[in-house]
Amino acid sequence: MDNLDKFRSVLSAILGIPPDRVTDDLSAEMVDTWDSLNHINIIGALEQEFGISLPADHLGNCMSVARLKGLLTQHGVAI
Amino acid sequence: MSHSDTIPDAATLSRAATALAELHANPTLLNLAQATRRLSELTCLGRVPVRVGVVASFTFEPLVPALRLQGLRHGLALDVYCGPFGQIEQELLNPDSGLAAARPDVVLVAARLQDVCPPLHDAFNGLSAEEASAITDAWLARLRAAVEAFRARSQAHLLIQGFEQPGWRALGLADAAASPSQAATIEQANAALRAMAATLPNTRVMDYDALVSFHGRGRWADPKTLFFARIPIAPAHYWPLAGFYIRHIYPLYGLARKVIAVDADNTLWGGVVGDVGLHGITLGHDYPGNAFVAFQRRLLDLHRRGVVLCILSKNQPGTVEEVLAQHPEMVLRPEHFAALRVNWRPKPENLRDLAATLNLGLDSFVFIDDSPVECELMRAALPQVLTVLLPQEPALSPGMIESLDCFEQYTISEEDRARGQLYRAEAGRRELQTAAVDMPSFYRQLEMKVRIFVDHRPHLGRGAQMTQRTNQFNMHTLRCSEDDMRSFMEDPRHRVFTLALADRFGDNGVVGLAVVRLDPREWRLRLFLMSCRVLGRTVEQAFVAWIAGQALAAGAARLTAEFVPTTKNQPFAGFYPDRGLTPAGTEGGVQLYSWDLSQADLTIPDWLDLTVMSSPEAQDPDGQS
Repeated sequence: MDNLDKFRSVLSAILGIPPDRVTDDLSAEMVDTWDSLNHINIIGALEQEFGISLPADHLGNCMSVARLKGLLTQHGVAI
Repeated sequence: MSHSDTIPDAATLSRAATALAELHANPTLLNLAQATRRLSELTCLGRVPVRVGVVASFTFEPLVPALRLQGLRHGLALDVYCGPFGQIEQELLNPDSGLAAARPDVVLVAARLQDVCPPLHDAFNGLSAEEASAITDAWLARLRAAVEAFRARSQAHLLIQGFEQPGWRALGLADAAASPSQAATIEQANAALRAMAATLPNTRVMDYDALVSFHGRGRWADPKTLFFARIPIAPAHYWPLAGFYIRHIYPLYGLARKVIAVDADNTLWGGVVGDVGLHGITLGHDYPGNAFVAFQRRLLDLHRRGVVLCILSKNQPGTVEEVLAQHPEMVLRPEHFAALRVNWRPKPENLRDLAATLNLGLDSFVFIDDSPVECELMRAALPQVLTVLLPQEPALSPGMIESLDCFEQYTISEEDRARGQLYRAEAGRRELQTAAVDMPSFYRQLEMKVRIFVDHRPHLGRGAQMTQRTNQFNMHTLRCSEDDMRSFMEDPRHRVFTLALADRFGDNGVVGLAVVRLDPREWRLRLFLMSCRVLGRTVEQAFVAWIAGQALAAGAARLTAEFVPTTKNQPFAGFYPDRGLTPAGTEGGVQLYSWDLSQADLTIPDWLDLTVMSSPEAQDPDGQS
């Protein structure tokens, strides 16, 4: 699985949406299940899957696909 | 117990069991989320519905999916109620609380010391010895009052989580010799909690600190989620934490597994004995032989706590037997195994055969093999069996055995410790049966000695255990705790009979239990069960005839027996009618069978030497009865 597939499976599994809905224009306000608790789960799962540690202040922001991808790039994950 | 009306097919069960096994092998947040999305497909594994109520000092909801999935791994279909966080006392005390309305079968009390006694973790160096113990004493007194108030209204099992030690002690090295010592204060609080639970019926303490220490105190909490979102346990640990709670629940419902069927080549030892011969296998003092020795030691330890061991090996008959008997480095010897199946038949077929021989259900079995193909075959053919694939690295195998979490029980009886001998003796009996010309001469040659005990307090633990473990010859499948058993014994309207059986091959220990209610004109046989090991030797018939005789002697005209059908006790649905009892309607889900004692045949077969042991009251110097 390449990094993008992995990223999509994380959001798809935690939010309960099909992987092909995980596109760059998707953000939290468009998905009912993307609440603060699930956002923490997303950050935790991304940390596990990519073996990185993300700063705590991103537990409360970056609630969109584009910004999460930017965050991963900043931490050395090519996506 | 009449949970599922439709029995799921093997393919559905197999898919679900495989999904949970994969999750358990690699419980990342991603895999946990994916399994949670498939929860509805997995619920077919839940055989026993249980309502769990949780009262916690922290937000418990994020743990609920993991709790339900861990429950399914052990056959529990959970319905979970979470009280509002931080309201442990209110939920327990208030008769109109959400917890009370949820009518739980089990209540988890998850209080973290950090939440209920914060200074002990956050400000310990500012406390005097008196202040430190006053803080824990005050919390325990409040908890006790709340638990007692709840207990007065509910029979639910109460499982209370103990307190964890901090990762770093506030005084550093000096804590060991200090007064107060933080470590000692917390250990005393845990001891006080255990002492409190011991005085309350159906109440137990869960050793939370042992769980935290196993996973590493330094990493148990994720400081980022803790400070940002007040999530005190790292989400990466939800799976083991949920497993910890479930490990305390499933033994209450008879869902512990009982047998390990283990492969031999590249599992008990390295190499294939059929190829390399008795002295060519890898087993001994150096790597990797020492890892196989350690693996066997872990199995022996399980055997000594009552787990039955069997071997399933694809080999020429005789080769495995030779290793067991002759290899100098073997830890496990022939006497540790209840049965061996060394042949070329498919392993699922051999395992099915073992289940029939041992009189145990498939869901009592764990299958351990180093071959992914054999594991896959077993999961597909017999999904009820818990299949465990060994790691390819032998050094990791002993730890794999230690981590098997499916054998939990709250007490270990003498019968458990001796179970190996019991099954060995059973093999001797089977040989005798083949040799005897007819059944009565077989029974006579067994030289059976039956002892029946009346309200015998030392059998409290074993009695409760039998109600929890016996699934087949169990007329009422009512799971009882030691406290329930004590209540029956102390109630003058009830009488508890326990039956022990010995024969020329050895002592089987306590193998039968009956609980009778003494109504004025009739005795009501409420609980009646026998260990499957001893069935088919006329002891069960003699036991019920003896009870009927006691009823008659006490002036009762009838013995009425209760039968509650389950999927497991169907083979014995005809037991009471076969004895001559007649159907007498139903009460709720209970079928009644009645025996007119003036007509009943109460003969005890002459091959049974039956003794009634004097009741403890008669031996009691205070003579309270």
